[in-house]
Amino acid sequence: MKLLTHNLLSSHVRGVGPRGFPLRLQATEVRINPVEFNPDFVARMIPKVEWAALLEAADTLHLVEVPKGPIEGYEHDEKFLRQMHHVLLEVRTGPSLASLATAG
Amino acid sequence: MAALPTDSGWWPAAGARFFCTAGRGLEPFLMREVRARLAATQVEYISGKVFFTTCSDLNMLKKLKSAERLFLLIKKQFPLNVSSVSKGKIFNEMQRLVNDDPESWLSAISIWKNLLELDAKEDKLSQRDANPLKRKVEENDIINPKKLKTKQMQELQESRECQLEKQMEEATVEQGDFLTNREKSQEAFQNDVVKAVAAPNQKDLTFRVSCRCSGSMAKTFTAQEVGRVIGIALKKQFGWKADLRNPNLEIFIHLNDIYSVVGIPVFRVPLASRAYIKTAGLRSTIAWAMASLAEIKDIMFLSIRCPLARTETWLSTEHSASSVDLSRDHGPGGAGALVLDPMCGLGTILLEAAKEWPDVYYVGADVSDSQLLGACDNLKAAGLQDKIELLKVSVIELPLPSESVDIIISDIPFGKKFKLGKDIKNILQEMERVLHVGGTIVLLLSEDHHRRLQDCEPGGIPRNSKGSHTDEPGIEKCLNPGGKTDLSDTVSSSAETGGQGDLDKMPPFGSLVPVDHYRVSLGRTGAFICRYRKSPSSGR
Repeated sequence: MKLLTHNLLSSHVRGVGPRGFPLRLQATEVRINPVEFNPDFVARMIPKVEWAALLEAADTLHLVEVPKGPIEGYEHDEKFLRQMHHVLLEVRTGPSLASLATAG
Repeated sequence: MAALPTDSGWWPAAGARFFCTAGRGLEPFLMREVRARLAATQVEYISGKVFFTTCSDLNMLKKLKSAERLFLLIKKQFPLNVSSVSKGKIFNEMQRLVNDDPESWLSAISIWKNLLELDAKEDKLSQRDANPLKRKVEENDIINPKKLKTKQMQELQESRECQLEKQMEEATVEQGDFLTNREKSQEAFQNDVVKAVAAPNQKDLTFRVSCRCSGSMAKTFTAQEVGRVIGIALKKQFGWKADLRNPNLEIFIHLNDIYSVVGIPVFRVPLASRAYIKTAGLRSTIAWAMASLAEIKDIMFLSIRCPLARTETWLSTEHSASSVDLSRDHGPGGAGALVLDPMCGLGTILLEAAKEWPDVYYVGADVSDSQLLGACDNLKAAGLQDKIELLKVSVIELPLPSESVDIIISDIPFGKKFKLGKDIKNILQEMERVLHVGGTIVLLLSEDHHRRLQDCEPGGIPRNSKGSHTDEPGIEKCLNPGGKTDLSDTVSSSAETGGQGDLDKMPPFGSLVPVDHYRVSLGRTGAFICRYRKSPSSGR
């Protein structure tokens, strides 16, 4: 699944610290899948991102060039948007159909 | 009739007149769609067909999503009188369909040819930039990759990919079409074009007549008889030859108690059968109608020269005093909207939605492995695997944060195992939880489920008084002489019985407020498309 989706699913578990996300990622299961860049789409995704979970995931997967958080005026910052596009939409983890155990 | 000269004939200035067949209940959606997509005028719905006039070319016509089949109109007139008249006399009347006004036939055929020729030209232009994989179907003017060295090939591929990215969605859809199993039908379509162009003289046309008789016509005549009579009349009048297997021209006639309609089918394959859907689950026309009701919008949709963008909702009445609400593109339903189908099955709804509104985040979920595998196949065949995420999770336990979803569209399984009771209640509760306030839910419910949900509404007024169209839901609208046969009628009529009262009644499921519902036919059974909105107050 896209890291964006992983992020959304991770956010579901409330009150769990950065170490306790139930959806653990394996560094070996990463694929990069090129996706057409759409700045408007990415910009609208930014408010939905749960940054702690994202940074934890990026760390586990040894991703580089991951922004640490939204920067001011991100909607027009192409470099930022392209980095986020890559992280959220082009990085794929695990099998394409995720079978999830119940959280907790 | 004012007409403009073109190099190959005359083109009516106002556009050409067409008609579509549509599944029962989908006619209002189709009427809306032709107005929005084709800027159609003179739109009317009469007894199972939607008639309209438009200047659009085949590329745009091909995109109609809520229609079954599309025809170019040759003539529509009063029904033939079958009562107490001899069969012979009625046959004469049928011949008059051909002989009274042969000009109308010829001008319709000329329009048809123009449409095909224009399409052939456009096709050639777009194919020059085409992906080399398409080579199989097209001619030899595309560079043969085998002759190039690997590096050059890579560069060629890359530049072609760049070109593809820059092209409008229409052209991309063409490419997609070719990459699926529908190549045969595309080839058949190409053949249509070749034939039309190759028959410059109308006398060389080969034709076939398909007939349909319903109502009292059907009691007196068989389709074959009528077909034969018309066929002979056409041969006499125009000198064409009949070809039952592979004619240039197909003529379609429908005779019933309300009209006699003659037309030319524009495409060989019904519009309802999509080139991009490998295995259909839910009927594609209904899936699209549901998605259109959910008000998914992306940036493109709002900025388009679409007259309907002016109204706030896709199917609200034109009389509403809503101004353009540009903030909509930031709220639920805008680009970046999260659209969820928590019981997606083979993914038909998501496919239809993603094709129409691509800049949106789509997620599908199901508990069945086999369905998900089928959905995955479908996504790949349609080239949409990047747009739609599939999860194996249960609708009653969605691993999503509360209020994280903007739109939910789903086909609630029919059948006994989903009895109204705990199951449906749990499903709706979970949907309500994950939905944003102001978000929209569109569900397809069996008649059973729908009836029970209505009975559940406290306040008890069954909305059935308008909802109980057992037969032709659209019939009342279509007989309206004013011709205002649009959805506003349906909406306001259910508002009369339930609408005003709605604000006083407690919503049946917490904060989910019913907005409207539409009865549609699924072939042998009927169903209801129901729309809900999550209101700010949660009243439980």
